[in-house]
Amino acid sequence: MTAPEVAPAAARFVESREFLHQIKTRVGQVVVGQDVVVERVLIALLTSGHLLLQGVPGLAKTLLVAAVSKTVDLAFARIQFTIDLLPSDIVGSEILDQKTHEFRTHRGPIFTNLLLADEINRAAPKVQSALLEAMQERRVTIGNNNFALPAPFLVIATQNPVEQAGTFELPEAQLDRFMLLHRLEYLKPEEEKEVLRRNTRLGVRREGKGAVARTEFDVLDGQERGTSEQLVRAMEDVQQVHVSEAFLEHVVEIVNRTRNHPKLELGCSPRAGISLVKASRARALIHGRDYVLPEDLFALAEDVILHRIRLSYEAVAEGHTSQQVLQEILGEVAR
Amino acid sequence: MSTSLRHGALVAVMLSGAIATVAAQTRDQREATVGMRCYVEQKVLPGTELAAAPGDFRALVAVRVVKIWPHGSQLRYDLEWTGFEPGTYDLCKFLVRKDGSSTDDLPALAVTVTSVRDGDDNEPSEPEPVPAPRVDGYGTDQIVFAVVWVVGLLGILFFGRQRKAKAAPPAPRPTLADRLRPLVERVAGGDADDAAKAELERLLVAFWRARLGLGEAKAGDAIAAIRRHDEAGVLLRQVEAWLHMPVPPQQVDLKTLLEPYRAVTADSFAPLAKDGTKGATGGAR
Repeated sequence: MTAPEVAPAAARFVESREFLHQIKTRVGQVVVGQDVVVERVLIALLTSGHLLLQGVPGLAKTLLVAAVSKTVDLAFARIQFTIDLLPSDIVGSEILDQKTHEFRTHRGPIFTNLLLADEINRAAPKVQSALLEAMQERRVTIGNNNFALPAPFLVIATQNPVEQAGTFELPEAQLDRFMLLHRLEYLKPEEEKEVLRRNTRLGVRREGKGAVARTEFDVLDGQERGTSEQLVRAMEDVQQVHVSEAFLEHVVEIVNRTRNHPKLELGCSPRAGISLVKASRARALIHGRDYVLPEDLFALAEDVILHRIRLSYEAVAEGHTSQQVLQEILGEVAR
Repeated sequence: MSTSLRHGALVAVMLSGAIATVAAQTRDQREATVGMRCYVEQKVLPGTELAAAPGDFRALVAVRVVKIWPHGSQLRYDLEWTGFEPGTYDLCKFLVRKDGSSTDDLPALAVTVTSVRDGDDNEPSEPEPVPAPRVDGYGTDQIVFAVVWVVGLLGILFFGRQRKAKAAPPAPRPTLADRLRPLVERVAGGDADDAAKAELERLLVAFWRARLGLGEAKAGDAIAAIRRHDEAGVLLRQVEAWLHMPVPPQQVDLKTLLEPYRAVTADSFAPLAKDGTKGATGGAR
């Protein structure tokens, strides 16, 4: 008996697969060794979910998001979150026009396609709430007017896991709004070497009579871009990815096990199950399939589930981590 | 009648009215119960000025001169008195002259003190004997407490051990092989629901995890490794295609596909040799 070919995508998805492949290739020209993160950004983009990146400074988080926005022709904005940031600094405000003596609406940086919320845990809870509300409803209210945010709208937030002084940890209810929380790790030595090698080749950029050193941000300027129509088609294709009943059984099994595990005080919400399925469909498309596999589920489980579960007091006291418990659950599912 | 006479008569009437009012307000309390304060007012007494006799805690009546007015050649007094023992007393016996002269010329000013309690009810009750608080013996208490604690601890330890020993051992969890075989039969027989099919897929992954020695690997890495394996990868992909593809491929023959797992035993889970060949105990195929 020969093994059936399960990898190739259905013919109807070829265009989207090519589009996604191009994005990965272009981003790969500036960002080295972060294939998984690029995949997670694409998953978030294709499913209209939101992504929280957790990692120490200097792991090319901003560069990555900027690169993705440039390769897909998306509007990009970045907000550096600080303690004195106000909700109006994000969503906008009404300003009195001195000439006309009338209020006019000043739209904040949230009116974009791809928003990078840098160090989201440094802002006060009311600012976090303002952003998270917009993420959920995809609308904001300025004065008495309600505005729809552009489509697609994706928030990629970052937070630093080591420097916690003066920060406001996102509560579980707000973390749940992020479809994925991906933990960035340091590059492998050979990848790091490649970063340095590319950096030495950047050169300078002439500006008038002067010149400035080129950065990785300049590399993508002037390159061919994907169109928003291609992105919309890919998003539609994700919705066509087949989800089998057996796959849903796997998802429900894992979600239920988090709710009944003795070391966990808080298990997954139904939203976690929904996110698992949505993210798995997008991953399947990126990998050229028109159906999901348990492989997608297990690959995404950490990013989808880990920020939605909370260890019990006893488990923390015994030195367990959420990561260990989740791996225990995933291992038990297939044991 | 002339006007002056009419005015005089009016004044007389008013004065008599005022005197009558004052007389009506004057108190002359001669009888009281023990401890009650009483007043004898506007009493005219002959002789020089009187004052209360010096205080004596044993006195049966206490008298106080409240106010004194001149009354012709005599003096008029307001007196306050309180009786402490039942009986009849002359208040004048409790007054002295300020100039030290005798008070024998004073008329009797009798008052009566009565008691509301019985005569034999005056003695206080005998106090109840109360044991004195203990002021020592803490060392003994500590020893007793320590003995009780140790006995309790030993009891818990030994009693608990005996009970544990007596408790029936928990039923052993069915082995992977025991769980896999009936599921394979059910699915191959075509009467398995989606939950059973999903369970079968998980058990097959578990089977190959054990066979390929991937028990300690992360679940995601383990599945990726199984899919890359020459033998396991082909079999797992076939199962995946049958379970998850929107239209399962025609060439998947379920009975043939599950045949390798129908006769699994505990030995079938022995890890394969490192070169990927089958172990000495045999494999699924």
